[in-house]
Amino acid sequence: MSQVDRSPKPRGIRQTMSDLHIWVGLLAGWILYAMFLTGTASYFRDELSRYTRPEIATPSTLPDAAAVAQRTVTAIMADTPAASQINLSLPSQRMPWVSAMWASPGGRGRHGFDSGLFDASTGAPLQARDTGGGDFFYAFHFNLHYMPAMWGRWIVGLCAMFMLVAIVSGVITHKKIFADFFTFRWGKGQRSWLDGHAAVSVLGLPFHFMITWSGLVMLAVLYMPWGLAKLPDKRQQAEVISEMRLFLPPQKAAGHPAPLTHVGALVQQAEQRWGTGAAGSVQVQNPGDENARVAVVRAQSSRVSTTPNYLLFDGSDGQLLQIKEHSGVAADTQGVLYGLHLGRFADAALRWLYFIVSLAGTAMVGTGLVLWTVKRRAQLPDPQRPYFGFRLVERLNIATVAGLSVAMAAYLWANRLLPVTMDSRAAWEVHLFFLAWAAMFVHATLRTPKRAWIEQFLLAALLLALLPVLTAMTTSHPLWHALAMGDWAFAGTDLTLLALAALHSLLAWRTWRHAPKAKRARPSAASRNAVPEAGA
Amino acid sequence: MIHLILFVLSVAAFACLALSMERHQRDVVRRVLSAQATQQLRAMGWALLVFSTVFAMRGLGVGSGLAALSGHTSVAAGVVVLAMMAHARRHR
Repeated sequence: MSQVDRSPKPRGIRQTMSDLHIWVGLLAGWILYAMFLTGTASYFRDELSRYTRPEIATPSTLPDAAAVAQRTVTAIMADTPAASQINLSLPSQRMPWVSAMWASPGGRGRHGFDSGLFDASTGAPLQARDTGGGDFFYAFHFNLHYMPAMWGRWIVGLCAMFMLVAIVSGVITHKKIFADFFTFRWGKGQRSWLDGHAAVSVLGLPFHFMITWSGLVMLAVLYMPWGLAKLPDKRQQAEVISEMRLFLPPQKAAGHPAPLTHVGALVQQAEQRWGTGAAGSVQVQNPGDENARVAVVRAQSSRVSTTPNYLLFDGSDGQLLQIKEHSGVAADTQGVLYGLHLGRFADAALRWLYFIVSLAGTAMVGTGLVLWTVKRRAQLPDPQRPYFGFRLVERLNIATVAGLSVAMAAYLWANRLLPVTMDSRAAWEVHLFFLAWAAMFVHATLRTPKRAWIEQFLLAALLLALLPVLTAMTTSHPLWHALAMGDWAFAGTDLTLLALAALHSLLAWRTWRHAPKAKRARPSAASRNAVPEAGA
Repeated sequence: MIHLILFVLSVAAFACLALSMERHQRDVVRRVLSAQATQQLRAMGWALLVFSTVFAMRGLGVGSGLAALSGHTSVAAGVVVLAMMAHARRHR
């Protein structure tokens, strides 16, 4: 690339690591940026799922979990007597409704499953707009979209591996990691970018390392299936998996009807064991059959590890069959890393810390991408006409960094504005996300880079700032009302959107004000032809 | 409440550590502190970090405590950097 690379002098470990860091970071950077930002938003997945279903009123109190479980199971069985499986997520402070899935021969979804939301207090089905809610950002974060989920997970895994390499090589490259710990030098061009990149990287380093490594460990069985494949039969493989995550072995129905035991009493037993509010979900197999099984699963908010914790009951007589509260050391290690990654155990304060440090991680990838161009711009023979690779990276950076904000805001706009009666409404929210993002790619190629940055940041700021206004106009949760009611899923999201709008305006303003430092003797227009090949 | 205490402790710890570095002493107090004062600041910073660790683990449990502490220290260090930047801009 540059003449230094061609010099015969052997290069030190730091230079080698620096090259590795730069190229690995660049290649995976665009996908990593999107993963980081959508992952960051996913720490508020439940809140976003509520924000995107504004027709559901926020209840003032949470009813007793045992009563809720009983009510919902009864309601589903009355509506679908042939249900062979019922899964309930019990309401919590963050998600005050019951989210249920049930399988039956006439089921419309995958594997015959139907799904729905139920009012925790009445057991009545809740009517809400068809939306992906916070689940879209969450799923995109590791499945991507418009491709089979497995492809997405392999691509994401490869990028995470690159990220791990970039973190380790970055630490080795960064000479004065401790001496420069608190240092940021303003207005020094590339030096400032480097300081900024180092600051967001080093300050959040424990998080960045944890999130990358745990992300790989979460899908370790997918990426390294050979250990599990050594086991001779499927039953043993299922046993291993059921040590790692909640997976109840399928129970054959006896074919003799028997009334289902009182599910509420089983939830109560679990709460006596783990504490009030610690029962997170309920799974019923073969309800109404002699061979019914009921599992009460411990809430993920009450512990870090994601290894399975549940009580398994006989569904016909309510007898406790199994207490699952421990897994092997390897499963526990994976479970803790998995839990740290998801952060479902986090209380409100810790959730905000996750969000802020994860935003710093997003900034780490973003500043890294921009740094690639900042560093090379200084060496361009003709800054007006950079070579193709430079232009490609620059445009991709604009559309990825600024464009994704526009796309994510567009998704929320679609949630508010698409007609409620529309077919495949939830899918169209996602299509509009990608259409907006694609438009930003086109826009970035049509405008000069500086203008493209400013316009996309401004557009993002505008879309974000007007979302609370749109919410006030189209829903019964205007910001002032949500604040007065202490309804933080709405008030918190609106305030965060306003803060993000301010951040994007600041970025637009700084880009607008930015004047590149006068370079030492840039080639004049007349002498441009004299150095045609030096940059490529 | 425990989060507030942890955050304040972390900010104090990193402020001490930053002030135990010559570059930041020049920026903030406009002179280099004595070797003894520097050493005391460094010891104080590390002591506060150790104390916060114990405090977090006892208050929130080992797992959640360490996770919370990691978040608090990252954000607190960021706050100290931002404070240094703001100070440098004001006194430029």
